[in-house]
Amino acid sequence: MSGGKSIARTDRLRALALLAPAYLWLTVAIFLPLSAMAFFSVVTDVPFGDTEWHFTIENYTAFFESPTYARLLLKSVLLGVKVTALCVLIGFPCAWVLAKMIRGRSREALFLLVILPFWSNSLVRIFSWAIVLRGNGVLDNFVNAIWPWPVDVNLMFSETAIVIGLVHSYIPYVILTAYLALQAIDDSLIEAARSLGAKWWTILWRIVLPLALPGLIAGAVLVFVPVVGSFMEPRILGGRLGTYYGTVIEDQFVAVFNWPLGAALSFILLAVVLIILAAASPVLRKSQT
Amino acid sequence: MSEVRVEGLIKAYGPVRALDDVTLTFPDGGFFGLLGPSGSGKTTLLRAMAGFVEPDMGQVFFGDRPVGDVPVEAREIGMVFQNYALFPNMTVSDNVAFGLRVRGIAAGETAKRVADVLDLVQLGPLGARKPHELSGGQRQRVAMARAIVTRPRVLLLDEPLSALDKALRVDMQIELKRIQREVGITTVFVTHDQEEALTLSDRIGILRDGRLIREGTPQEVYSDPGDVFTARFLGEANVLEGTPAGAFLDLPGGARVARPDGAIRIAVRPEHVAVSVDRPDGPNILRAELRQRIFAGAMGTCVMDWEGQVFKAVARHEDFAALPESGPVWVSWSERHARGLTAD
Amino acid sequence: MIAPRLRTRLVGLVGRLYLGLILMFLYAPIMVMAAMSFNASEFYQLPFEFSTMWYVQLSDNDAILAAALRSIWIALIVTVVATVLGTAASVALWRYDFPGKRVLQVLLFPPIAIPWLITGTAMLIFFFGVGIGRGTPAVIVGHVALALPYVIVVVTARLATFDRTLEEAARSLGARPWLVTRAVMLPWIAPGVIAGALFAFAVSFDQFVISYFLSEPGDSTLPVLIYTAIRKGFTPEINAISTIIIAFSMCVMLIAAQFTKFGGER
Repeated sequence: MSGGKSIARTDRLRALALLAPAYLWLTVAIFLPLSAMAFFSVVTDVPFGDTEWHFTIENYTAFFESPTYARLLLKSVLLGVKVTALCVLIGFPCAWVLAKMIRGRSREALFLLVILPFWSNSLVRIFSWAIVLRGNGVLDNFVNAIWPWPVDVNLMFSETAIVIGLVHSYIPYVILTAYLALQAIDDSLIEAARSLGAKWWTILWRIVLPLALPGLIAGAVLVFVPVVGSFMEPRILGGRLGTYYGTVIEDQFVAVFNWPLGAALSFILLAVVLIILAAASPVLRKSQT
Repeated sequence: MSEVRVEGLIKAYGPVRALDDVTLTFPDGGFFGLLGPSGSGKTTLLRAMAGFVEPDMGQVFFGDRPVGDVPVEAREIGMVFQNYALFPNMTVSDNVAFGLRVRGIAAGETAKRVADVLDLVQLGPLGARKPHELSGGQRQRVAMARAIVTRPRVLLLDEPLSALDKALRVDMQIELKRIQREVGITTVFVTHDQEEALTLSDRIGILRDGRLIREGTPQEVYSDPGDVFTARFLGEANVLEGTPAGAFLDLPGGARVARPDGAIRIAVRPEHVAVSVDRPDGPNILRAELRQRIFAGAMGTCVMDWEGQVFKAVARHEDFAALPESGPVWVSWSERHARGLTAD
Repeated sequence: MIAPRLRTRLVGLVGRLYLGLILMFLYAPIMVMAAMSFNASEFYQLPFEFSTMWYVQLSDNDAILAAALRSIWIALIVTVVATVLGTAASVALWRYDFPGKRVLQVLLFPPIAIPWLITGTAMLIFFFGVGIGRGTPAVIVGHVALALPYVIVVVTARLATFDRTLEEAARSLGARPWLVTRAVMLPWIAPGVIAGALFAFAVSFDQFVISYFLSEPGDSTLPVLIYTAIRKGFTPEINAISTIIIAFSMCVMLIAAQFTKFGGER
C-alpha cells in the first residue's frame, strides 16, 4: 500500500502481529484437537498411562460391522433434514412478513423480539418445553380446557417432542439469514415484475427465491450441522426413544470411555457433514460476489 | 515547499497499465492541474505521489530526494480527498489540529495556527462544530485548512470540488485559487472537468490511458492542442480532414482551405467560426446546412451539417440574430485560428 | 376477484397474524417456565398458586450459586480475551491484503461448521493429551475459540461501514498506524466491538456442549449443572434459576442490539 519494498514488509509484520493471537488460539483449541482426534480414531486404546496400544482401523470397521451405527447415523441425518425443512418452511414466510410487510420502527422491534429467545440458554429452553409437553403439563391442561372430551396429551419422550424442541431452538437462525437476504432485495425489482404483469407465485419463484437462496442455504446449514450432532435435546425430550448418533458418541466419552471409537464415529459424522456442506457451497459462494 | 518530480512512472494492474511511463515536473509553488477522462491514470498518479500506490517502476522526487522508500505518514504531504474524509468524531478545530498534534507541536502554537488557518478559509467561528453539522462547501474548506496547516511540501487535491453543485463549485474555484496564492504551496490537483482545470491551473497536464499526451499552460494547450483527442477533450473543436494540395487542403465536397503546419487534419474552435447567409470572402469557407440553433442564455450555438459531420459555431446570441432557424449557410474562419492536428 | 386494495389489506392481516403465531410459539415455553417458577406446586401441578419459595430455596443452594458465579466469571474472562483477539484479527483482515487471506477467512468457519459435539470431544482428547486436562482453564480455552468467530463477524460487519479514506487522510497528516487505529478507527467501530463483546459473553454464558465435556464433575458451569440435575429429575429450583438465566441473557442481548443494527444503518 505504500512505496518501497521495506514498507510492504513492515505492513506484513503488522498484519501478522494482529492476526497471530487469534489464529494461534484457534489452532490450539480447534485444529490441533481435531488432529488429535484423528490420531485417536486409529488407535486401540487411549495412550495415557501404561495401557498397551497400537494402530488399528477397527474403530472405523466397527461402524460397518454392526448395522446399529449406520442406522443411527441415518436417523440423525433424517432428523436434521426434518428439522431443517420445517425451519425453512415456517421461517421463510415469517422473514418475508418482517422484511417486506412491516415498516419503520416496529420492524426493528419485532425483529429483535424474534431473535431474542435465540440468545437465551438452549438447555433451559429445552427444559421449558419439557414442562409444556409432558403429561399433565401445560399443553395437556390447555387442550383439556378447550376440548369437550377428556384427552391425554403427552408428547414427551417422542420424536415429535424432539423435533418441536429443535425447531424452536434453531428457527431464529433461518429467520435471521432469510431476513437479511430478503431485505437486500430492492423493492423496485418486485414492482418492475408486477408492472410486467407477473402474479405473486411467479414473482416468488422466479425473482425472490433465487435472490434469497444464498441466505436460505446459509440458514439451513446453520440449522442442519448442529442438529445432526445433537444429543442434549434427544436425551431430555426423547428419553428412551432419544437414541441418536450424537448420543452414542456422547456415551463413548462420558459413560463407556471408549474414546477411540467415539473419535472414529465423530470423524465419520464430520465426513458426512462436510460432504453435504461441499454440495451447498457453490450456492453460498455466489452470495459473496 | 519544493518542486515535485516524477520520472518514468509505470504501474500496472494485471495487463492494464494505469501509468505508462509518466515523466512530469510540478513547479515549486505552482498550481498544476491533471486532467483526463476516467481511467486515464490521473488519480493513480496523484496517489503514487502521496504514497498510497507503489509504482512498479520509476521514481517520485520531492525536491532532490527520492521518496520511494518513505511511507505516506512521513512524506509531509497535505491531501484533500474527494469526499473530504473529515473525522466524524472530532470537531472542526480538532480535525484541523490533528496533523499538528501528530507532529508534537505545543498546544498554544497549535491553537494559534488552527485559528489562523480557519480565518484564511473564512470559517473562523465554526471551530466547535462537528462535520455533520456543516454544508458541503464548508466541509471542503475544513479539508483544505486541515491539509495546509501543517505546511506540507506539496498539496495533493483529488477532485476536491466534484461533490459540490455547479454554483458552489464556481465560487469554491475562486476560493481555492486565492488560498493557494496566499500560501504558495506546490499544488497538484486532479479533475475530469476541463473548465475547472483551465480556470485554476498555472500549468496543465492531459493524461490518457496512463500516458501524458500534452503539457503546458492552459492557453498553450487550449489554442494548440496538438492531437484530435486533446482538441476534443479541452473544449470543442471542428475537425476537418482532407488531402494535401500544396499550401492548401482539399476537403470533401470541393472546398479548398488554407493548410497550417503542413497538416492533413485541422481543427477550428466553434468560437472562431462565423456563420452567414451571404457568401463571405477568403479561402476558408464552407457550404453547410444549418440544422439547429441552441439558446443558452448569454451564448448561442449553431449546429450545422457539413458533408455528413457535425459542425458547430458558438457566439454571443445577438451575433446570430440575422440567421434563419435552418437552411443553407456559409461558415468561415480566419487562417490564424486553424490548427494542425496529429491523429489520436 | 377481490379488489386490489382489499386484497393487500387481507394479505397484510394474514401476514401479521402469522408473525404473531410464530412469536407465541417462540415465547410460549419460556413464559410457561417463568410462570411455573412462581407456582407453589412442587410437581408443576395446576391450579396455580403464587409463591416465591423456589427463589428463596435457590438462595440457599450453594452448588447452584457457585456454578452460577463460575459461569459469570468464565464468561467475563472469555469476553475480554475473545474481544481483543477477534477485533485485532478483524482489523488486520480489513486493512491488509496479502497472499493467503482467503484461506484465513475460510479457517474461521470450522467452529460453526463442525458440530459442537465433535469440537468438544476433540478438545477433551487434546487437552488430556497435552496435560491441560479438564477444568476451568480448559473451559475458557474452548469458549474463546467458539466466541472468536462471532466477534469477528460482528466487528467485520461494522468495519465494512468504515470509510477507508479516513485512514488515508490520517496517514497523509503524518499519523503512524497505531495512532490511526486509536484516533480514527476505534471510535467508529466501538459499537461493533461492544456488540461483539456482548455476543461473546452470551456465547460463553449459555454454552453447554463444550462446558459439558471440559469441566470437572464437581466444578461445573451452570448449564452443565442444570443438565445433570434434569437427568436426575426435575426440581422447581431449576425452574427458578432457569428463569433468572433467561431474563439475564435476554437483557444482555437487548443491550447488544442497541450497539449493532442487523441490516440497518447507524
